[in-house]
Amino acid sequence: MTTAAHHVGLTVTHLTKSYAGTEVVHDLSFTVRPGRITGFLGPNGSGKSTTMKMLLDLAAADHGTATVRDARYRDLSHPAGTVGVVLEPNAFHPGRSGRNHLRVLALAAGVPSARVDEVLDTVGLAPRAARRRVGTYSLGMKQRLSLAAALLTDPPVLVLDEPANGLDPQGIRELRDLLRARAERGHTVLVSSHLLTEVQHLVDDVVVISGGRLVTSGTVADLTDSAALVRTPDAPVLAARLADLGARVEHSDAETLVVSGLGLDKIGRAALELGVALHELSPQASSLEDVFFALTGSTTTHEEA
Amino acid sequence: MTSTHLIRSQLLNLATTRMPVAFGAVIVLLATVNGVAVVVGTDMDGSKTFISSGADQQSLVAFAANALMLAALFGATAAAREYAHNTAIATYLITPRRPRALLAQLTAIGAAGAVLGLLGTACTVVAVAATLPFTDYGFLMSATDVLRVLAVAAFAGASGAVLGAALGTLVRNTGGAVSATVVALVIAPPVVVQLVSEAARWVPMALATAASGIPGETGTATSLVGIAAWALLPALLAVWAVQRRDVV
Repeated sequence: MTTAAHHVGLTVTHLTKSYAGTEVVHDLSFTVRPGRITGFLGPNGSGKSTTMKMLLDLAAADHGTATVRDARYRDLSHPAGTVGVVLEPNAFHPGRSGRNHLRVLALAAGVPSARVDEVLDTVGLAPRAARRRVGTYSLGMKQRLSLAAALLTDPPVLVLDEPANGLDPQGIRELRDLLRARAERGHTVLVSSHLLTEVQHLVDDVVVISGGRLVTSGTVADLTDSAALVRTPDAPVLAARLADLGARVEHSDAETLVVSGLGLDKIGRAALELGVALHELSPQASSLEDVFFALTGSTTTHEEA
Repeated sequence: MTSTHLIRSQLLNLATTRMPVAFGAVIVLLATVNGVAVVVGTDMDGSKTFISSGADQQSLVAFAANALMLAALFGATAAAREYAHNTAIATYLITPRRPRALLAQLTAIGAAGAVLGLLGTACTVVAVAATLPFTDYGFLMSATDVLRVLAVAAFAGASGAVLGAALGTLVRNTGGAVSATVVALVIAPPVVVQLVSEAARWVPMALATAASGIPGETGTATSLVGIAAWALLPALLAVWAVQRRDVV
């Protein structure tokens, strides 16, 4: 419940973990900034969940450290009040009602029981449904209940493992709005997903891993707006000039260029200096999935666990 | 959050499933069996010597051994299912100092075991007292003896629950934990006694019976210490294990 400003939300430094001699996370380092929604992306079995478990002190790292607001999770003065977590999609006793599940957590975390009804309302789980046994819930309802548990202490940091799984389009939109609102309050939000395209419009920053190793990290805009589409009747002249400026230029057709490695402003200025007419100058956005495939040379988003 | 919060949370955790009802039903069933035995049961010679004196009746209603076994199964199930259902994750996220979380859980399960022992004994006493009028004998136990079997059953229940919960924490699989409990309390002791006959008085069921005031080689205080030791050893092992192992 602490809301003091922090420059660093989460820090992972040279994290390594092996199970039975198989390395599932290798020398992984990245940071997650407050006030942003960060996507932690990679194929199934790429090491996302294991990294989150090490971050939350549920699993011990072989090497490296992971900190929340510059402290190990176990050293936080009020861990449950600092980090809200969605980790396993089915971490409920099937015979207990959703409301009672939250009451148990609220009591342990020292949260007033009135907060239970607030978070149930926040995630759109109706009172009648909340009184039913969790064993009767759909996957989407369980995800909503998991999210309610994560929000119980109104924590300034959220760590969510595949929170959109099982949600219908309305649920995904509500999740996006909720996470956006928290990021705007300066909270830190880390969301993992193996569905790169699905979260592209949800996150600001991404950390992409594959085979337990960092593939890339940065803002979504930087990663996906890396090329520009230029249409001009003087394509060869402009192409030569842009190449001189260090851009990589491909001719799509006689009048169309795909330019990467140079910003739109510099392309426009070069055209102006040459007196070349531009019929179109627009960012050519690629999807995160395209970026992932380009960086890994992979053709699938599934890995052996 | 305080330890009181953690313990109360664990108690609510236990109370909000159907498990207490299921174990309560077993207690009622056992008490009913005792009541029926009073009415229709006889000794080998056809007499009813087994209810003919206060000491005999105390021996009949002494529930400590049953409480130990029943509460151990309760504790094993309660602890192991936390891992089976992954609810242990939430427990250790709220309290990343794992020994503290485990101690709160063992305390709550131990308290529940004590209640099971008390209820079991109370139901048995009521069943026996209610059915004695159908025989030639009255209720011959003194109030002190009744209180003694109640107290010992509560202690045995608490100890059994801690023992079972510790095994459940170590095994982390409900079927495996129940099996381990049955092995520890039912199957292994006779085998050990076959090998070392002097161990007979130190097996859990013998200790529970002796603690209830049934004449034997072991005194009440020694029996209680022995029962506690049977619970504490696996509990210490469980505390050590949760510190060393990954939660998931």
